[in-house]
Amino acid sequence: MEIVRRPHARNLVRFAAHKPEVLVLSADLTSSCEADDFRAAYPERFFSVGMAEQNMLSLAGGLAREGMLPHVHTFAVFICRRAFDQVAMSVAYPNLRVRLVGFLPGLTTPGGVTHQAIDDVALMRVLPNMTILECGDATEVESALDVAHGVPGPVYLRMLRGEVPRLFSSSDPMVLGQMRLVSRGADLLVVSSGVCTEEAMRAVLALRRKGVSAAHLHVSTLKPLSGDGLCDFASEARLGVITMENHSVVGGLGSAVAEALAERGVGKRLVRLGVQDQYAHGASKSYLLAKYGLDARALIGAAERLCEAPLDIADGELLGVDKGPADEQSKAEAL
Amino acid sequence: MPIDKNEKQRLQEKARQHRTDIVNVTEWAGGAHIGGAMSMADILTILYYKFLRIDPARPDWDERDRMILSKGHGGVGLAAVLGRRGYFDMALLRNFNKFKSPFGMHLDCRKVAGVDASTGSLGHGMSMAVGLALGARLQRKSWITYCIVGDGECNEGSIWEAAMSASHFKLTNLITIVDRNSLMIDGRTEDVMALEPFADKWRAFGFLVKEIDGHDFDELNDAISDAREKRQAPVVIIAKTVKGKGVDYMENEVKWHYGSMNSELAQQARRSIEKMHSA
Ligand SMILES: Cc1ncc(C[n+]2csc(CCOP(=O)(O)OP(=O)(O)O)c2C)c(N)n1
Repeated sequence: MEIVRRPHARNLVRFAAHKPEVLVLSADLTSSCEADDFRAAYPERFFSVGMAEQNMLSLAGGLAREGMLPHVHTFAVFICRRAFDQVAMSVAYPNLRVRLVGFLPGLTTPGGVTHQAIDDVALMRVLPNMTILECGDATEVESALDVAHGVPGPVYLRMLRGEVPRLFSSSDPMVLGQMRLVSRGADLLVVSSGVCTEEAMRAVLALRRKGVSAAHLHVSTLKPLSGDGLCDFASEARLGVITMENHSVVGGLGSAVAEALAERGVGKRLVRLGVQDQYAHGASKSYLLAKYGLDARALIGAAERLCEAPLDIADGELLGVDKGPADEQSKAEAL
Repeated sequence: MPIDKNEKQRLQEKARQHRTDIVNVTEWAGGAHIGGAMSMADILTILYYKFLRIDPARPDWDERDRMILSKGHGGVGLAAVLGRRGYFDMALLRNFNKFKSPFGMHLDCRKVAGVDASTGSLGHGMSMAVGLALGARLQRKSWITYCIVGDGECNEGSIWEAAMSASHFKLTNLITIVDRNSLMIDGRTEDVMALEPFADKWRAFGFLVKEIDGHDFDELNDAISDAREKRQAPVVIIAKTVKGKGVDYMENEVKWHYGSMNSELAQQARRSIEKMHSA
């Protein structure tokens, strides 16, 4: 599998090249949010607003009102928790074209509970006018800004940074409101987003080898969710639906899918994988994904519940997609 | 009261050990926020070895002074001093920020004894300290609340909301110390978001301001003693410090906000600390 280094850094520079209205605002996390190449390329369009996220969000609203296109960069948690009222009243309510680029979503941060945006999708989903995109691989990182560009209102982007795997061909970019059909199957429907998709792909492969076939949808437009398409697949899933997200099971993808199924009268069993209404520890990403049941192993467990039978899948059988160096778990990532 | 030569030597020895502990933990952890831990090392040393009325055997002792590390990313420094003071076994720090360890890069008050608040989302700690100080007054308690704030952290509006409320409520039992190392993550504080005239800002918010050298134990001692004794207004001590202080290759280097060290770099760091403290 191809691993792409800092795809957002490069893509931001490319995207902004012929769009003089594109500005970048940063709150003292410029390299951590891969806005440093932009700063070097277009210093006159880069604004360090200090570590003051509330100010940054309303300030972005003001700039957008004047016709600029501010791209706010900071950790997801500081957009959504710290500045929620500012996002709601200065950006979402006036329906302004501000791009909220949130990094290290969910459990992907090494910073522990203070840095874990496990509630950001829920918070953004409840805001009228807000569109939510989440990147699941390098191809989506490389296309997300263009997708957002076409949206007339505010967009929240759950962004990936650093070494990002390419799961989808670069000729197959993210499309607004379109889910990706990763695989077909009749027994289960798996719906995943963000970093969980890679995990889900491994589990779906292993399930297939045991004779359990799962349709797998990857969702990158979390709001508005294309409920009709989703329910077509859900109705076909013999045993039920499993959602998998790097977020609390309250208010995110799992909740959105539940609402879509219920509203359309699709009476399928639903298992929601994600952080189960609790605060999480701080540790490495792979450890946390395993501990809180967001990894391939957790998906196997959910499938077993729906199949009502043990599937006897050993850890070795879950290594369809390579996992990087084995010592990843013992080395702390920088913030 | 001024400190005598012996006392100063004792503190210097503790600071040397504290800095070495920080380097060790950073090496074991594979990385930590070492720059800002080094800049506040002398502040933590004098607080934990001289001023704080605490009892490590009873971390929840009601009458203890409170200490909130508002710049929560300095957890590696706080953990090192808490361990040395006996809140827990220093050996636990070998697993700092690793699996199943109670220590994350930001300390969790539910897991680590001696930590009065879980901080790390910057700009919260000082408001919590204001709440603690107000709580002490309401309960007629004599303990003091200390709060260490980062200078970059002072970009956050909430710090100034806290400052406004501390002087509004006339909290003379609150001592705020700003680690004025003049660096944050992106660069110099004055380039990222200018703070100056910094002392004037605090004065305008109703604080008694003391500007000192945050690596000089005489000045630290005088400023903190004075703040404890003369209680007229909330006090802020702006401690001018050097980020990375004690390790030659880290001093004033923005890239050492968060850093990892292999054993060679760690060895070099320990030598540098020895050299500084024996000079
Ligand atoms: C609300 C919030 N925004 C951003 C961050 C990320 N962050 C961690 S440390 C830091 C810079 C801190 O600068 P300063 O307060 O001067 O700390 P020091 O230099 O003493 O380490 C930033 C922006 C954070 N932890 N919390």
